[in-house]
Parts: sequence; structure tokens; C-alpha cells
Amino acid sequence: MKNKRLLLSALACIVSGVAGAQGIMGGHVTGNIQLDGQMSHADSVIGAEDVPEHLKLNARADILYTNGDFSAGLRFEAYQTPLLGFNAQYTGQGIAHYFVSYKAKRISVTAGHFYEQFGSGMILRAYEDRYLGLDNALLGLNVTLRPVDGLTVKALAGKQRVYWDYGNGLVRGLDAEADLNSLVKPLSDSKLHMTLGAGFVSKYEEEESIPSAADPASRLNLPLNVGAAAVRLNIDYGHFTLQSEYARKGQDPSKINDYIYRPGEALMVNMSYSRRGLSASLQAKHIDNMGFKSVRSQAGEMLFINYLPAINKQYTYASLTMFPYVTQVNGENGLQGEVAYRFKKGTLLGGKYGTDVTLNASTIYGLDTVQVGGAGTEGYTASWLGLGQHYFTDASLEVEKKLSKKLTLTAIYCYQEFNPAVEGEEPGLYHNHIVVGDLHWRVDKKHSLHFKAEWMGSDSRYAPDEGLTDRRAGDWLMGFVEWSIGTHWFLSASDQYAYNDGTGNYPSIAVGYTQGTTRLQVGYGKQREGLLCIGGVCRPVPASNGLTFSLSTSF
Amino acid sequence: MKKSILILSAAALLMAGCDKISPDDYTQSAGGGSNWTNANVHRAFVEKYTGPKCTNCPKADVTLDAAHHQFGDKLIVISVNYPTGQGVPWAGNPDLRTEDGTAWSQYFGISELPAAYLDRGTKQYTGSMSEIVSDIEKVINQTPQAAVAVNATAEGDSISITVDVELYSQLDGGLSLTLALTEDSLVYKQSMPDGDPDENYVHNHMLRDVITGTWGDDIPMEGLAGEHKVGHFSYKVTNSDIQLQNCHIVALLSRKSDRSVINCAETTIN
Repeated sequence: MKNKRLLLSALACIVSGVAGAQGIMGGHVTGNIQLDGQMSHADSVIGAEDVPEHLKLNARADILYTNGDFSAGLRFEAYQTPLLGFNAQYTGQGIAHYFVSYKAKRISVTAGHFYEQFGSGMILRAYEDRYLGLDNALLGLNVTLRPVDGLTVKALAGKQRVYWDYGNGLVRGLDAEADLNSLVKPLSDSKLHMTLGAGFVSKYEEEESIPSAADPASRLNLPLNVGAAAVRLNIDYGHFTLQSEYARKGQDPSKINDYIYRPGEALMVNMSYSRRGLSASLQAKHIDNMGFKSVRSQAGEMLFINYLPAINKQYTYASLTMFPYVTQVNGENGLQGEVAYRFKKGTLLGGKYGTDVTLNASTIYGLDTVQVGGAGTEGYTASWLGLGQHYFTDASLEVEKKLSKKLTLTAIYCYQEFNPAVEGEEPGLYHNHIVVGDLHWRVDKKHSLHFKAEWMGSDSRYAPDEGLTDRRAGDWLMGFVEWSIGTHWFLSASDQYAYNDGTGNYPSIAVGYTQGTTRLQVGYGKQREGLLCIGGVCRPVPASNGLTFSLSTSF
Repeated sequence: MKKSILILSAAALLMAGCDKISPDDYTQSAGGGSNWTNANVHRAFVEKYTGPKCTNCPKADVTLDAAHHQFGDKLIVISVNYPTGQGVPWAGNPDLRTEDGTAWSQYFGISELPAAYLDRGTKQYTGSMSEIVSDIEKVINQTPQAAVAVNATAEGDSISITVDVELYSQLDGGLSLTLALTEDSLVYKQSMPDGDPDENYVHNHMLRDVITGTWGDDIPMEGLAGEHKVGHFSYKVTNSDIQLQNCHIVALLSRKSDRSVINCAETTIN
């Protein structure tokens, strides 16, 4: 009997061991792989420089293992050498990102690299955008608690990635968000839905010696701990929504604000109304010295702890993104409004299928400041609603109309005012008129065609003899045609031509093949120099002339 | 209980998370005299081994001159006359070889000219050294671990030197400070890439002497972030060919363990 009991115990151990092993060996692995390559040769007309290594490659592979509440992942990255426009400090290869994570109903824990955002990101947003070459991942520990339904508390600490290294600054953060309708019983059935949140982020950085502007023999007494706090309130009531967030940052002398001690603050308010067929929104933004980096001496796009969302409409058309707005972290006041209306089917303007009309306008100014000194002072004074330098204005009318079962037309007119000062260039104001026509034609079940025609008239000029070297300047015509064949193939051709007061003709062709989750695209042509911006965050795109290819797959 | 822990954690973070400095304390005396300005910069140090009979050395000079033009005073160069072979002077020309320079070249195992090292790292640059420029830029863009400032004044043939060192990061393993005297605008015969020597080639940044020990003097610092040390040195010029108005004092802050340079500074002699 005793022996039988021992045998059963041993068997139970083995079975539980096997079950445990199956538990560990179970789960599933997913991932995606992307490879982008570029070959370019010198072209003095468009300003493309020779690529001595002939081939530039960006590659990445994300692997994610998931097993119940547990997951682990890693990302291999290789930049041999980085594509044009990506920072040369990316050159290299290796495991750039790894983590293990446990996620249950009441708690989530991630150790390793992680991305996180508090509210709209005005005090913390660790994120990655592969197209911008931007990765602000934190390496450390991230814990999320949900002690009761409706309450989420996040706590984190870590150091930020900077290319293949990590910034010296230590980032600590705490955020709480309460869904008041879940937490307060009398509100549980209310039409009024409120979410209240608050966050605090602190960065610690070691002492360093920064000379004072007023007295070179003196150095700045730097705050080693810099804090930023934000409160936010979101309200939904019927068709109405209000999203608001106010953030304040302590003294943070840094390279991007020229080492001044003025505290920072930011306010973002977004009101919107939406019902079937009609929506309207009004957004306001105030930023004053809110650039927040984990390394005070670091310029450039990396190591930002926070993110200040763009307020102007984000377009995808080439002419409308020729002069993109770059968020001014040191200070701006902005306003955006949009009304979208759908003319119903069967009405005069709606026709057979209905018509969508969107009117959008935004305007952004710098702060109205009075300088009080340079490094080692308060820097400046500024009034809340005062308007300084005019940075950007746009107003657009967009009409989308289904003409028939096979034809859909989108037409846009946009007026733009753009100040190159937002890119650190000599201040001025370009006035641009832009017209876009976009036609989708589903020829039959297997074939479709996509046409785009764009025109931009601008008072900007390209005249290098006069010091005007912006190759985006002048009047432009742009055309694009894409032929899709079944679900696998597409062929496209495009051209951008500066026909007046500008320079350059940028033809290109591309072919792509998609099979399941795998997509291969090969292109050849000229790329205009400019800025690639996503959400007000930008990277320069140098001119190029040559072959590009991209391969991506997921599993 | 959970709520208490959360509240306490939040309070602890809030209290620890933000330093406030009153306007009267925005700045503090830094020492280091006028050269403390920009002492927080991470400067790059290049020691270039050269010789008057080295035909390719002028190519390296072109590269480093262009780098100087690009990076300004963030790049500090010392040209070291190699002790043998192509380093031997042409007849009737000055001999710029030094005992310290010989020791340095032996330490690095220099076997061909030109050759250079950046911040006394492990990579040797040879030929025209075009790849050194991007590496210099990387060094300059790094956050400095220490600030170094140097001031020098001369009275007759005596030079008084003051060096300020301030550590930003913890630096373990001991530190040393090397002071070197370099001279610009030395005109003497140099082999050129086309084979014809140039009788009037201008040599700059030439090492004339090492004021401290060959590998520097130990700095009595614990290596803690925030530590600040001022050192005073005096030096008597014994070589009458040296023109002090063309000279610089170069200060190198190095790790004792591997002799790598942490930061450096350079000054004219007033």
C-alpha cells in the first residue's frame, strides 16, 4: 500500500511536471519582419549626394511569445548603414528591445523595454515610430494596477533608449486614471461620463557644468530632479465630448530651452460634437517651455520624455505635406476647428450616394515673449493669450463623393501660410494654394485604378544665388497613378515637378506584390528633400535618386 | 492597506521628484578662470604620429585641418614626431622627436605613418584618416563625464598653469592629468604625396614636451560625481627654439587603468 502510494505520488509529480512543461512549451509565437533598402547616386540637380556604400539597409524583426497571462518579446534591429535621413548613430545591429510581461485582471508588470503614455502624452510618452527613426523606449520596470474596476494606476521607472545606448537620466512616473461612472455609484447610469486623471513624472540626472551666459566664470546650479505633473478631465455627454489636460513642469534648464529656469506649462482642450452625418470640433493648445528630455544636454529628436500633440490636420497628400508644421516645444498657441457634414443620399448635393464635406482650419503662433536673459536666468516672460510670431495657418475644404458604384472622387482645396522659422530657418511666410483631386476607379472585380493630381502655387522661391535654398519652394504639379491587379500586384508611377520658381523633377515608379501577410515593393526614382512629419514630430528626408525596396511579413 | 501604500508611494515620488532653485542661486562660481566657458563640452583628442619623411602624412594633415575647421576648439590635436625611419629629420632641419613622444608611439605599437588615435582608444587610424572625422563627431556629441579647463600665463621662460577638473559622473580606477606643450607654425622640410619634398611645409600642433610625467600625474580625487579639483603647475622652457607665442598647453584627463582620455582642454599661453 505504501509502495503504491509512493508510485502514485511519483506519477503525479511526473504528470504535473509534464503538464508544467506543456504549460511552458505551449503558448504561441507571433512576429513580423521588415527589410527596407535603398540605393542612391549623386544628382546635383535635386541635391542628392552619393552613397559610398551603395546600399543602405534598415531591418527589424519583432518576435512575441505569448502564453496565457505571460508574454515575452524581443526585437532585432540592423542598420547597415541606416537609410538616408536616419541618424548615423543607428549604425549597427543587435537586440534593441526585449521584455517579459505578466498581465492579469488586476495587475500588469513589464520588465525590460516598454512603451507607455500618461494621458495625451504631455508629461510622458515613450513610443516608437519606425518611419521617423524614433524610439524613446524605456528600459526598466512598468507596473499597472487596477485595484478596483474603474481605477488604473501606473508606476514606472527606467532609462530611455538613445540609438544603441541609454540616456543617463532616470525617469520615474506615476499616473492614476479614474472612470468616475464606475467608481461613483450615483453616476453609474448617468448619461454624463467622466474620466479624471493625474500623473507625475520626475527625471533625475547627475550634475554637470554648464557655463552661465551672463558670467562665463560661473556655472549653472542645475536641478538634478525635474518634475512634471498633469491633470486631465474627459467628459462625454450625449453627442458632446470634452477632452482637457493641463501640464506643468518644474525648472528644467536644458539645451533645447537654452538653459533657462522658467517653469513650463501646457494646456490642451478639445471640444467636439458628433451625431450621424454631422461632426464639429474645436481644439486649443498652449505650450510654454514644455520640452522635457531625460538628458538635459541632448538636442535632436531623441530622449524626449513627453510628446506635445500636433494641433493642425494631418494630411497624407504630397503637396499638403510639403511644408509640414513642426510642433514648437519651446512655445506656441494654436487653435483648430473642423466641421464635417454628410449631405444625404437623394438630396441635391448628396446625389445618389451622398456627399461628405469637411471644412478645417488651424492657426498657430509663437508666444508673445519679453526676453529677460539667457542661460542661467528665467529666460523670458510671456502672457498666456499673447500672440508672437506667426508660424502656421491652414484652411481646407474637402469634398468626398461617390460618383458611381465604381468611382469615388475626393477633392481638396487648401490655403496655407508657413513660416520656415519652425524648422529653424530664417523667418518668413510662404503663402501656398493647393488643389488635390483623388479618384478611385474600381474597373472590375480584379482591377482598380487610383489617380491623384495635385497643384501647389506658392510665393516661395528657389534662388540659391540669393540664398534661397529651400528645394520645396516654387509652384508644383504632381501626378500619381496606381494600377492594382487582383489582391497581389500593383504598379504605380508618379511625378513631382517644380514648374515655376522651383527646381527639380521627381519621377518615380514602383511595383508591389502581396501574398498573404508578405509584401514586397520595389521602386525606382527621385525623392525630393524635405521633412517627414508624423504628429508634429519630424525627421529630415534628404534627396535621393535610385532604387528602393521593402519587404515585410508577419506570422 | 493597498490605498495607503499607493498614497505613500505617490507622496514619496512627489517629494523626491522636483528640485527648486531660487533665482539667487541659479549660478555659482565655477573656478577655472575664463577658460571654464564651455568646459562642459566633450572635446575629442587626436594624437597623430607623423614624420618629415612620411609622404602620406600631409594627407592626414588635410583631413585633420578640415576636421578642425568643422569642429573648432572641440577638437584638440597633438602631432607626435615618430622616433625612427620616416620620423628622422632631414639634414639641417629641426629635430622634433621627444622622449615622451617615443614612449607614446612604443605604447601604441606604431609601425607605419601616418597613424592616429582618438581619445587613446583602441582603434588606429592610418592613411588619409577620412573615417576619423565621423568618429570625432561621435565623441563630441557624447555627454562629457568630466569638465577640464586650463589657463596658462608666461613670465619670461616660466609658465604657470592652472587646471580645473570637475567630475560629472563617478569615475573609478584612478585618474591622471597629462600636460603637454605643443607648438604651431613650425616651418621645415616635409615629404609630400607627389614625391617632391616641400621645404616650407608648416607643421602645427607639434609636441615639444610633456610637462607632467609621460602618462600624466595622478590626481588625488575619489572619482565621485561633483568632485572639483584645481591644480597648479609651473614649467620652465629650456629649449630656446620654442616660440611661446605659437605654443599651446594641452591638458588630458585620463583613466589610469587604460590611459583612455575622458576629456581634454587646450589654451594659448598669455
